[in-house]
Amino acid sequence: MSTSTGDRNPPQDTSSGPGGSASSQTSNGGYNTQRTGQGAQYSDELDNSEDLVSEVEEEEMPEETEEEYQTKQAVLKASLPFVHQYGWTKKAIVAGAESLGMPSMVHGMFPRGGAELVFYFYEESNKELESFLKQKVTELKEKDEKIKTGPFIHDAIETRLRMIIPYIDKWPQAMAIQTLPQNAVQSWTNLSRVVDDIWFYAGDKSNDFNWYTKRGSLAAVYKSTEIYLIQDRSEDYTDTWNFLENRLEDVVSAGHLARNLQETNTVLSEGAKGFCVMTRNLLGMNNR
Amino acid sequence: MSFPLICQMSIRRISQRAKDEKTRKLLSRIIRVDQAGELGADRIYAGQIAVLGNTPVGPIIQEMKEQEQEHLETFNKLIVEKRVRPTALLPLWNIAGFALGAGTALLGKEGAMACTVAVESVIGEHYNSQIRDLMEDDPEKHKELIKKLSKFRDDELHHHDTGLEHDAEKAPMYDALSQVIKVGCIGAIWLSERI
Repeated sequence: MSTSTGDRNPPQDTSSGPGGSASSQTSNGGYNTQRTGQGAQYSDELDNSEDLVSEVEEEEMPEETEEEYQTKQAVLKASLPFVHQYGWTKKAIVAGAESLGMPSMVHGMFPRGGAELVFYFYEESNKELESFLKQKVTELKEKDEKIKTGPFIHDAIETRLRMIIPYIDKWPQAMAIQTLPQNAVQSWTNLSRVVDDIWFYAGDKSNDFNWYTKRGSLAAVYKSTEIYLIQDRSEDYTDTWNFLENRLEDVVSAGHLARNLQETNTVLSEGAKGFCVMTRNLLGMNNR
Repeated sequence: MSFPLICQMSIRRISQRAKDEKTRKLLSRIIRVDQAGELGADRIYAGQIAVLGNTPVGPIIQEMKEQEQEHLETFNKLIVEKRVRPTALLPLWNIAGFALGAGTALLGKEGAMACTVAVESVIGEHYNSQIRDLMEDDPEKHKELIKKLSKFRDDELHHHDTGLEHDAEKAPMYDALSQVIKVGCIGAIWLSERI
């Protein structure tokens, strides 16, 4: 399922994702007994209904039903522990499926193989990050404190990168998988989700081109810190967090530089205009 | 998902997740392109004022510009509220709008009015199609936005009529000019929806 870069659900939206589907599943509890009786009759119709619906449907059909989505999520979740053994590959997915009692053929549901596992992990980590950020904002609001952007962003990136640490032995493989051309778009979407969430909860209110510069610079910081992380051998990765702090300082000083340049530019252009007016006056070319 | 529930979701077997995704995409597309459009309109009027500011028609253009500024502020707020990505082409529309406004104003007051008429007619139709899309998607949920868009559309059509009143049709090469500007606007709208 493709998501367009950079747009996220509005904050008031409560029916998205697992929340929505969970509520529909609990409401199904009452229907289950009816289903088994009529199940046989309707299951054939359900199998053929894809064709039926595609005739009726004028727009593009969603690529998978809610059922398929939930199954896939369950398999991928069960496959994560096997990553240490098999890496981010189809083998891990097969192992995960078999641990749930499903046939190994279920790996056919994952045409992109190991990449699906990487994306599942990435997306789950992003969701975890979002709830962490929401919680932090609520806490700060309760204490009636203002959000300090610098430390907030540092904590956010550190939290997000720490989620990689349990899988750090195989993370270079995951990063390599993400750079493959067929996975590049999804990887880019995932990364933009991270930076967009962080900026949004940090209180970014930009609605012009700054929106892009802010997220672009943060993405660069995140990516470079991630690369530093996988080769860091220090105690509790303290070198990485220092690296992160330095990169964030670079961004801040770049922002100051840009502002200074702009001010200099204004002063210089005002000066040039003044000079032109003076020249025109001297040459008698004024409008008076 | 049980079969009765699928029945309730009508013939379209779209999950709630997919439906929310569809709505979100529609909303973000609409708000993104509208913000770009209002910025462009504001800059067009700014360009026209730069050339025709001191003429009798200056105050009229100034009034229209102020209304566009109001619209722009509304969409700027919506971009932040609904977490929509603004179009990456904003700097381009900034420059292009000013150039278009100043360029047509150099053809005289009629040229400026012709530009206004062409742009506002495209924008009026555009708002109408957006309102239709929103009504089709979920008239209850989008009630606020539909009301806002309707008001803005009425404002734009008012500008369109003002342009006609001030001799837009007497502009040099009116038909060709109008066509070119309309095509340009439609292209800009298409791009801003996507990029």
